[in-house]
Amino acid sequence: MPGSDGSPESAAEIRRLLASRKIERVVVLGANGTMGFGAAALFTQAVPEVIFLARSKSKAEEGLGEAIRQVRSPTVASRAVVGDYDHDLGKAVAGADLIFEALTEDFDVKKAMFDRVEEARRDDSIVATVTSGLSINELCKNRSQSFRRNFLGLHFFNPPNVIVGTELIAGRHTDPAVVDFVEAFARATLGREIVRTHDTPAFAGNRVGFKVLNEAAQLAEQIGPLLVDRIIGPYTGRALTPLATIDLVGWDIHRAIVDNVYENTNDEAHETLKLPAYMDKLMEKGVLGNKTGRGFFWKEGKVRHVLDPLTGDYRPESVLRLPRLSYIDEVANLYSQARYAEGMQAFLAADGDEAALARKVIAGYISYAFLRVGEVTDTIDGIDRIMGAGFNWAPPSVLVDTMGAVSAVRLIEEAGLAVPEALSRAVRTGEPKRFFRDRRVNTGKFFVAS
Amino acid sequence: MTAKREVYVLGGYMTDFARNWTKENKHFSALMREAVLGALERTGIAPEEIESAHVGNFAAELYCMQGHLGAFFTEVHPAFSGLPTSRHEAACASGSIALLAAGAEIEAGRYDLQAVVGIEQMKTVSAAQGGSYLGTAAWYDQEAKGVEFPFPKLFGRLGDEYDKRYGLKDEHLAEISKINYANAKKNPNAQTRTWYMNKEHALCRTDDNPAVGGRIRIADCSQVTDGAVCVFLASREYAEKFAKGTGRKLAGIPRIKGWGHHTARLRFDDKVAESKSDRYVLPHVRSTITDAWKRAGIADVSGVDAIETHDCFTTSEYMAIDHFGITEPGESWKAVEAGWLEIDGQHPINPSGGLIGAGHPVGATGVRQLLDATWQVTGEAGDYQVEGARNVQTLNIGGSGTTSVSFIVGV
Repeated sequence: MPGSDGSPESAAEIRRLLASRKIERVVVLGANGTMGFGAAALFTQAVPEVIFLARSKSKAEEGLGEAIRQVRSPTVASRAVVGDYDHDLGKAVAGADLIFEALTEDFDVKKAMFDRVEEARRDDSIVATVTSGLSINELCKNRSQSFRRNFLGLHFFNPPNVIVGTELIAGRHTDPAVVDFVEAFARATLGREIVRTHDTPAFAGNRVGFKVLNEAAQLAEQIGPLLVDRIIGPYTGRALTPLATIDLVGWDIHRAIVDNVYENTNDEAHETLKLPAYMDKLMEKGVLGNKTGRGFFWKEGKVRHVLDPLTGDYRPESVLRLPRLSYIDEVANLYSQARYAEGMQAFLAADGDEAALARKVIAGYISYAFLRVGEVTDTIDGIDRIMGAGFNWAPPSVLVDTMGAVSAVRLIEEAGLAVPEALSRAVRTGEPKRFFRDRRVNTGKFFVAS
Repeated sequence: MTAKREVYVLGGYMTDFARNWTKENKHFSALMREAVLGALERTGIAPEEIESAHVGNFAAELYCMQGHLGAFFTEVHPAFSGLPTSRHEAACASGSIALLAAGAEIEAGRYDLQAVVGIEQMKTVSAAQGGSYLGTAAWYDQEAKGVEFPFPKLFGRLGDEYDKRYGLKDEHLAEISKINYANAKKNPNAQTRTWYMNKEHALCRTDDNPAVGGRIRIADCSQVTDGAVCVFLASREYAEKFAKGTGRKLAGIPRIKGWGHHTARLRFDDKVAESKSDRYVLPHVRSTITDAWKRAGIADVSGVDAIETHDCFTTSEYMAIDHFGITEPGESWKAVEAGWLEIDGQHPINPSGGLIGAGHPVGATGVRQLLDATWQVTGEAGDYQVEGARNVQTLNIGGSGTTSVSFIVGV
């Protein structure tokens, strides 16, 4: 959002920044990985030459093939050059205006690569890492002044051609002019929705989002995956249900993110970030989500099977019986007429253990997000925008606005969680009238009527 | 030809054109509700203040099995029950016709504050079925019946007519597409903001950019879109009150300074035959534009700072360039090559992304253009703001150049 958390405010300012330097050649390191080729494809829209580098030339070519398939344009190839690290890295990096690192999420692997980049790069080139959790400050520690001034995190969400939410993370030494330029470039030419976050574990989006996802995974052990995805379903403000999301992301990625947060933070919701033991055990057997075919759900032809987390067995969805949750139909019916506030009240008033459990998760999401303000972003705006544009979830402020601050506080109190001061204050003073400040966004789109 | 009373635009709201309301399991009425409630919230106008409503829509009877759309306005808020409402249809110009009717009632002194809603839900049916419904904007029996995707073919023929009279190169059409898509990336409510496009792609001749009708390829087309837009039009008296209430000066509230409206014969062949000896391929479109200038007291296109035009296909924008007088007839390519059409060029066209980039919910488009014009002149267009825009002109076209409406919004 223009002017939020230090972002450039006007179109004129963006144009001035864009004119301040040129990005004519981008090198993507790790161009055969999902994020590497996805980002490389995006760059070909706006940059005349994009160099796909990987361990071998054939790997880089595979990445190019994937990039072409992902954006469905043969024109990607006309702007792409492929090469491998041993033969081509030095020259490619020396000629690049932007070096985009998308290697595996391993500190030492990235560090070794930055040694090579540092040796070859020009003093004025920008180095961006797409890490989703490693510390930006740690990654550039002990490097030259010019490297640290030009180094930042640019965290795309997968697949980047569909999800525009992008986190921009400056290190302690990053030149503010470089940060502003990268934001202008990403916003104006790559169509990114840029959110500036602090250099904290998993940044803003994954910190808040995976807390909720992991809590859903913990709940699956008690009530089964099918019921979890029903009660924390679209009507709670998301297009994709939580366990289906973990299957899509991959269980191993989920583990990497929550382990990182669990080990490196200690907040009021610490235990909700502990990976359930059954997930660790099942991963050893190759249960990794959609990439291995089996996760919380497994599709055999047209039949969907559901995991029993206790035994690791799967049963066809059709034999599983869910309680009749008529309140969800009532909420969905109200949403289908865009009566979101009334739908939300029906959810808050619904009887039954399932509704109470769902409310607890939503209360946890709102409370956790508001309590991270100052730690992961300057204001709630950044968390709101990344949850909306990165996860396609109703941002916490949108939920509060839709139910009203009084209901939000009651919801959090009933769940036995910490009430963020901003919400208590809103109840006391009536201000702000609305928390969600990005007036460009249709908030109704987050409330799917099912 | 000066208007008797001035018509002010107090602002409005649009739905995100990337949304698919069928996938969200939402009814047509939800689309209208979000647009109207969003506009009330954004402008701070109380629902009780609205005196009348006009709804522009092309074909809800076909797409949604729903007619009587004016009445749906009363469902949005209890305060609207009993209000005089109506629905207006003129194919892709429906939204502008609703605006004209609302503006005329303000000029006549009947009402001081009107809501105008443009609305279309199109993703309810397959592309082929939708293409056939759109064919009813032509003379269906003679031009569309039994034809797959009739409209791309009709606008392909507009390109052919240019080619015959003046010559036309595909690369100029591709550049028009590229600019619209690039502008859409800056517009948070544009349908194509995440889509992959560049000039090479628009020019590519593979299955990724298939031909859909003559010289028209997918990259030349506007989109199938669900969307609704609501704006509020007001008399000077109400606008003064509104300005005071929002701490502004009346001079800062945009008004409709001029308008034009002409209807040509339905069939494309008849239009072309009529214009055989004219300098302009679609002379009634030209008159629509020049009428708006006259009413606004503007001499020519140098008096407008940006244009939101009807690029249902790249050929219609190509036509608009010379009809606006940015170049001599047949020389639109010069403006394309010179970079004049870009947001920071000397004649920015479709900073929003237009129908190609932002999307084209048929009945909503005219209202969306007027809202974008309003946001431009009040400096509220965000990343697609044209610097210092004070007068912005729209051009909304129904059918194959049949019904044309143009507004000039300025401060």
